[in-house]
Amino acid sequence: MATATASLAVRKKKKYGGLTPWVFALPGLAVYIAFLVYPSLSSLFFSLTDWDGLSAGYHVVGLENYRAMAEDPVVTRAALNNLIWTVVTITVPMVLGLTLAVLLNGKARGKPLLRMLFYTPGVLPLVSIASIWGWLYNPDYGAVNAALRAIGLDGLTQPWLGQNSTALAAVMVPAIWLRTGFPMLLYLAALQAIPREQYEAATADGATRSQRFWHITMPNLRPAHYIVLALSLIDSFKVFDLIYATTYGGPGTATQVMGTWMYFNVFQYYHAGYGTAIAVVITLVAVAAGIPYVLSQTKERDS
Amino acid sequence: MTGTTYTRRGILGMTGLVLSAAGLSACTGVSDDDSGSGSSGGSNKLRVFTYEDNATIGLLKEQVAKFDQQNGTTTTVDSLPGSGAAVYPDKLRTELLGGAGPDIWRIWGGQIGAPYAKAKQAADLAPYYAKYSWDSKINQNAIAGMTFDGVKSGLPFFVAGVGVWYNKAAFAKAGVSVPTSYAELEEANDKLVAAGVTPCGVAGKYGWDIMRLFEYLLEQSAGPELHDKLLSGAESWDRPEVVTAFANFKKWQDKKWLPDGALGLDPADVEPMYVQGKTAYTITGQWTEAVAIQTANKPSAEFGTFQLPTGHTPLRHSGFVEGYMINAKSGNKDKAAALLDHLVQPDTQKALGNTGSTVAGAEPDKAKLPLSYQWTEIAKQSPFYTIQDQAFPKQQSDQYFSVQSDLLQGKLAPADAAKRMQDIVSAWAKTK
Repeated sequence: MATATASLAVRKKKKYGGLTPWVFALPGLAVYIAFLVYPSLSSLFFSLTDWDGLSAGYHVVGLENYRAMAEDPVVTRAALNNLIWTVVTITVPMVLGLTLAVLLNGKARGKPLLRMLFYTPGVLPLVSIASIWGWLYNPDYGAVNAALRAIGLDGLTQPWLGQNSTALAAVMVPAIWLRTGFPMLLYLAALQAIPREQYEAATADGATRSQRFWHITMPNLRPAHYIVLALSLIDSFKVFDLIYATTYGGPGTATQVMGTWMYFNVFQYYHAGYGTAIAVVITLVAVAAGIPYVLSQTKERDS
Repeated sequence: MTGTTYTRRGILGMTGLVLSAAGLSACTGVSDDDSGSGSSGGSNKLRVFTYEDNATIGLLKEQVAKFDQQNGTTTTVDSLPGSGAAVYPDKLRTELLGGAGPDIWRIWGGQIGAPYAKAKQAADLAPYYAKYSWDSKINQNAIAGMTFDGVKSGLPFFVAGVGVWYNKAAFAKAGVSVPTSYAELEEANDKLVAAGVTPCGVAGKYGWDIMRLFEYLLEQSAGPELHDKLLSGAESWDRPEVVTAFANFKKWQDKKWLPDGALGLDPADVEPMYVQGKTAYTITGQWTEAVAIQTANKPSAEFGTFQLPTGHTPLRHSGFVEGYMINAKSGNKDKAAALLDHLVQPDTQKALGNTGSTVAGAEPDKAKLPLSYQWTEIAKQSPFYTIQDQAFPKQQSDQYFSVQSDLLQGKLAPADAAKRMQDIVSAWAKTK
């Protein structure tokens, strides 16, 4: 019996490597626990309190903050804005990035310069981008309205950031502008990895340009699509700084998103408990949205 | 060679254990000890956090260095210039929560400074008021603006008077003179528009800048007594005087007396436009002379300033106080208080170029800052009402700015705006 137990232990050790892997994992695990698990659990706890974010004391209020979210009209507005933002700022940069990548993958002149031009907005600080576009949108002196006036479209000039009807769309334009370069680079790299022989064979078989694109290019770009989609999704959920710096959530609350509303509550209104509850919901939604991507990647690896 | 032999695995294992222990101990690093846990401990080091602009931060550092030299301290001065009341308090709060907050910080009075006092992050300065006789040296109204629930949590050093700052050339171009009544102000606006100049340069991003126009309109329509009661929630906002103020506010935009699309514009871009002549005037405080006029290398003589006419007695203007608080957890409270005392000496205040000092004998230099000096004279005869973003907590201010925004976009009628304001203020009054 003793021999059997010892042999089981040895087998287990062989299979899982005993303590040694844990010792190697410990430094990383400690950092992970200290900087991710602990703050997350602590945030979850504070979302169940009425802490003001400054005082030493607080009361546990259970799920009250989550119930209050359901009655907060700004949360509804912010969630809707997040949804619009996510759909638009994922779809448009992906399509534009892919189009630019296909065009620049051909025999375009000045390719390196064009690539740099399209990618440059992505490396600018978001606060600078907010300032630049704030000036561009100035109703009296900005380039956008000036351009419209110059081509005789005076009727289309607007106070872009100063009215509910156009403010969110106006902030999405710089977001698209700065986020197009990154998918373009990823698609370019993926396009260059597609074997030329596939195109040559298809051309020899009489495939049209469109057929080559849909039957060779697109299937080969599938891994790139996944990466671009996953990173764009994460970026979209994280939206905060561009809106904060461009419109400060206004006019009124017209451009509030969950991230900015969480920030306003935690840092400006001294409702840290409520703001943290918003943060918990954002995290849960982001995790739920990421599950299909993780599953697809796992399936792909298994197959 | 009798030393212990270390294997690579052994070293890695030990490192892992040490890091784990350090990481886990950091997780439980919340201390209940309130004594001396500020940024400077009990050493001779102090840290001041402020929002001085680039034009004035050098002057503050010079005066702090002078104090350091005399007292053997080393003081670091950090500034977040141009951030305004919308951003600076967030940064301060984050620092305080991080456990390494400054020993001294600059802050606005009223509801912006109140949370720090309420949360007991700011020290009670009563012992230092007694020690340095600040009560007899500092303007009493200003002290009231930094006293919360009877506790003197701040030392005010600046009192702002908000009024009109105008470009004389723009006024001359339109043939207008300084208005002495609200009707004359409206007439002047019409003439300025006819002359191709946007009259009033205020902006709506953040809400607080365009608010200065509305609060004036409310003072004009409601009068001093009712205005004060409205701000405290003692009277209902759902009344004709408030409706009139909102109707006038909308009129200012519809008649193009404000910049096009004012709601989406940044005050930092719009306010200085009167210096460039792109607008005729703005509504701001006396710091604009040093920060906007003199920074643009323009002579003060090309500009003028006046109180907005209300037609009421007393004639009041919007105003607010700013001062310093000492970190309740600072290990160097005594030295911090000594530094504050140094900063509020009349000579220091003059050297700092304070355009609205709370200290008697530290009026701005009439030759260098003639327009700011004019406000010192105005303040002697004219009281101020608390600027509205200090009268309300930040959340209620933002809700109020939302009402302003909806009204100017035509989504709310003036009467509905008045009702909405009553809902906001009464809900807040119940929590007080």
